[in-house]
Amino acid sequence: MKKIPIKRIALYLALFAGAVVSVAPYLMTLNSAFKEPSQVLTTPAWEPAFPVTLENFAQVWSQYDMAGFLLHSLVYAGVVTAGQVVFSTMAAYAFGRMSFPGRDALFWGYLATMMVPQIVTLVPLFLIMREFGLIDTYLGLILPTAFGTPYGIFLVRQYFRTIPKDLESAARIDGAGTLTVLVRVLLPLSRPILATLATITFITTWNTLLWPLIVTNGDATRVVTLGISALKGQYSSQYHLILAAAALALLPLVVIFLLFQRHIVRSIALTGLK
Amino acid sequence: MTGKIALSAVVAAALLSLAACGGGDDPDATGGAVTLRYAMWDEVQKPPIEQSIREFEKAHPNIKVQIELNNWNDYWSKLQTQLAGRSGPDVFWDHVSYFPKFSKEGVLTDLAPLIARDKVDTSVYDSKLAEGWKVDGKVYGLPKDWDTIGLFYSTKALKEAGLTPADLDGLTWNPSDGGTFVKTLQKLTVDENGKHAGEAGFDPKKVKQYGLAMQAPTGQQDWWNFALQNGCALQDKPWGRWTIDQPACVQAIQFVQDLRLKYHVAVPATVTNPPNGPSLDQVVGRGEAATAMDGSWMLRAFDTALPGGGFGVADLPAGPVGKGSVYNGLTEAVYAGTKHPKEAWELLKWLTSERHQKAVAQAGAVWPGIPSLNDVFADAWKAKGVDVTGFKKAAEGTTMGYPLTEAADVYNVKALDIFNQVWLGQLSPQDAAQKITTEANAAIK
Amino acid sequence: MTDNITSVHAVRGHRRAERRLATRVRVVAEAYALLAPSLAGFLLFLVAPIFGVAALSLFDWNLMGAPSFVGLDNYRELAADPEVWRAVLNTIYYVVLNIPAQTVLALLLALALNRRMRGGKVLRVVFVLPWMAMPVALGIIWSWVFDPRHGVVNQMLGLVRIDGPNWLTDPAWAMPVIASVNVWQYTGYTMLILLAGLQAIPHTLYEAAAIDGTTPVQRFFMITLPLLRPSLFFVLVTNTIGSFQIFDTVFVMTQGGPGGATDVLNFHIYQQGFQLFRSGYASALAMVLFALILLVTAAQFLYFRKRTVYDFS
Repeated sequence: MKKIPIKRIALYLALFAGAVVSVAPYLMTLNSAFKEPSQVLTTPAWEPAFPVTLENFAQVWSQYDMAGFLLHSLVYAGVVTAGQVVFSTMAAYAFGRMSFPGRDALFWGYLATMMVPQIVTLVPLFLIMREFGLIDTYLGLILPTAFGTPYGIFLVRQYFRTIPKDLESAARIDGAGTLTVLVRVLLPLSRPILATLATITFITTWNTLLWPLIVTNGDATRVVTLGISALKGQYSSQYHLILAAAALALLPLVVIFLLFQRHIVRSIALTGLK
Repeated sequence: MTGKIALSAVVAAALLSLAACGGGDDPDATGGAVTLRYAMWDEVQKPPIEQSIREFEKAHPNIKVQIELNNWNDYWSKLQTQLAGRSGPDVFWDHVSYFPKFSKEGVLTDLAPLIARDKVDTSVYDSKLAEGWKVDGKVYGLPKDWDTIGLFYSTKALKEAGLTPADLDGLTWNPSDGGTFVKTLQKLTVDENGKHAGEAGFDPKKVKQYGLAMQAPTGQQDWWNFALQNGCALQDKPWGRWTIDQPACVQAIQFVQDLRLKYHVAVPATVTNPPNGPSLDQVVGRGEAATAMDGSWMLRAFDTALPGGGFGVADLPAGPVGKGSVYNGLTEAVYAGTKHPKEAWELLKWLTSERHQKAVAQAGAVWPGIPSLNDVFADAWKAKGVDVTGFKKAAEGTTMGYPLTEAADVYNVKALDIFNQVWLGQLSPQDAAQKITTEANAAIK
Repeated sequence: MTDNITSVHAVRGHRRAERRLATRVRVVAEAYALLAPSLAGFLLFLVAPIFGVAALSLFDWNLMGAPSFVGLDNYRELAADPEVWRAVLNTIYYVVLNIPAQTVLALLLALALNRRMRGGKVLRVVFVLPWMAMPVALGIIWSWVFDPRHGVVNQMLGLVRIDGPNWLTDPAWAMPVIASVNVWQYTGYTMLILLAGLQAIPHTLYEAAAIDGTTPVQRFFMITLPLLRPSLFFVLVTNTIGSFQIFDTVFVMTQGGPGGATDVLNFHIYQQGFQLFRSGYASALAMVLFALILLVTAAQFLYFRKRTVYDFS
């Protein structure tokens, strides 16, 4: 028992060091966002902002349609996340816990699509969307990822495979159908992974730039990544605004993360696998 | 749990249908009005342009203009993808480095017949600029703006070195001893012990402030200018072959390398090399360099980093054959595949009109494409206490256009890494010149 | 019941077989019904574009004019291009630098944060923060960190009298810097998935093992590692796939330099496709990258299949 505090202190120290490395760039970003425009780039990023100004945030908010950008991103990420969680779970059940002809080949097919870089599929995908007449629509923005992605399916499938079969068999003997088994037996046990999938999907979609850039044109569909990226110049950029905007755009993500995180942690108590 | 799943499915469906309604409504369907897409990449210019376009819309009630702003990199990726889908923006900004491919592949509308029909007076534009956008009698764009390169300086650094802005005028350089240009830069280069470059005891490893900062992914803001001043031509003729391996060009490249590695008066490439190097307004703003060679489009950035008269602009030095600057500009172009050619041409006429360009020039972002409006731009800066007429003098003097060549893309891609290595001392100017000339010429059919 | 008449047996057997077949048909139908939505999206928005890319790799196309068929010319050209081989090696080098470090760090972090501890919640957020970073802000952040004179890293090294290298302009350092930036960015994210995987391990197992007098290390190898395998496998496979497609960091920090030291395949593809207007050639390169990743992923599958103790499939 005497040894424990030392180990514990060492652990905390290591974690603390890691935490500093993780968070330092953010602190610098935040710190700089409170500086006068002339100081943002001319004083060291870790030098405390003095005088402190809220001007950058105010300017970002008033001069650009930040509220609109955030709302559009929220719709985009929200819909994709909802679709992803529902449809990936369904597909993951089929892949992870059912046997049907073509399963393995199909699963490899899904995986294989992750291996082709998006940079080259962009043009064909754009052409497909144009055929559907979905350029510059939310639908065109959302559809490619809303039906579940190989990534999401793979993630949930792996988790489903760790849940013992007898739990399911017991329910089956009681006469439960596939959907009932999925909803009643597996889902309650899968909260951590579904929360994780939701978190990952939301944040990834929120930060996506390339597809929104290509498929949307107008202000009615402009997402926050595009809104902020536009402040970048060819040679110089309005970093006092970019940093303030980036800090603003990070807030919803932290909130979403905390929201879902509760499920991941709380489930420790819930996953009383018999 | 079932309830929750059902609920989220309903929410997803609802959001999807909501999403289906928002955006994407056919512009043509809205009461006969046409919506034109106008694509650009410079955020700084958007507010005055937007304001002026509102006027245009008032004068043309049947036309709506949707401005599509994305940053330089995103702009080109998007434009190319959309061109592949035959759905480019109706009117867009064009740059010389993309122009050759665009003109060859029929992406751009030939404006010549329209100009003739509407009797547009194109003599208001500087012919040096306008000519570059003509191919075989076809006109693929009208000048939007122009830019030259100048020597930005920090007034504070100048004062501390006991120099006046006038001391920066009339400087000369030569390949052998660097001339008065290097001498002046030495005065502006100070190490941590207060010793100046060239002085006994100067420590080039511990420099507090360098005389000069340079940064250019292609050469436009650094060695192309020295090349011009040294009598080097980058090409044998417009649309011709690259001739960078000529001695006069190699000397210019050597001089830029010398400024860093031999004279120690320019900020090392380890700091300034693109893409990760800070932009030069930052470098000067944080006191790491006293002056910087940069384009007139950087005025706003310098004004942010060094506000309240903290900076000024001097002429570039003269080389062995005299003064000179790279002189370039953008055009407004009409997409050949536009569904609304008539309206797009109306918009283009507005964008290249005196009225519109005057409004934009007043905002002080870029020099106007119509030279008679230059004073509007200069006055806007005079009001802020900055004399920018040097850029104008440069434009009126000996200039070199941005090279016109089919191989612009190959040159741009290769030049970044090759010249980055030269400035670091990892590659000799001679080898670099040879390499870039061979590789870029190989791409010319 | 054991001495039932054979005919009854036969009838029952027949019925059972019928029922089994019906069940089987039903299961297959159910499986495809569950798959249907994702399959639709998969075919339309993933498979179709990829077939497009595969087809495009046989053409010469600058995105603007008409594509012209060139057969296998693109592949012949890339096989003979030393820059392509350099890019392949650079990519592999990057993956080797990135994946082990990221995975081990994430696993350690997940183990450390899986326990109830003071500040655990905050730490979890803090470690995941880097992954939430909006890409547009990263460029400026890295110039703050790696600037040879004014950057955080070299200023810190200066405090202990070390002359830090010129990180991004030194051919030897550029790739390790790119790799560590990505480790910074993705370790927290990887930890998140492993953390979720750890949640699936029943506490009772640990309790039973503790009663049996095992040490924590023994418990890690006997319980945690085998049961975490599916998550670990997922993380390794997807991170490796992603790692082979490294692009953003290179684009922002080095553009493939210095001297091509960070010219990785995906960046090369971007350059060819978008900067040099060679869409067909870029597509062929993408097929090469695809083959490379497929090979590595297949190897990972084989390795894990051999070693998986619990296979539930």
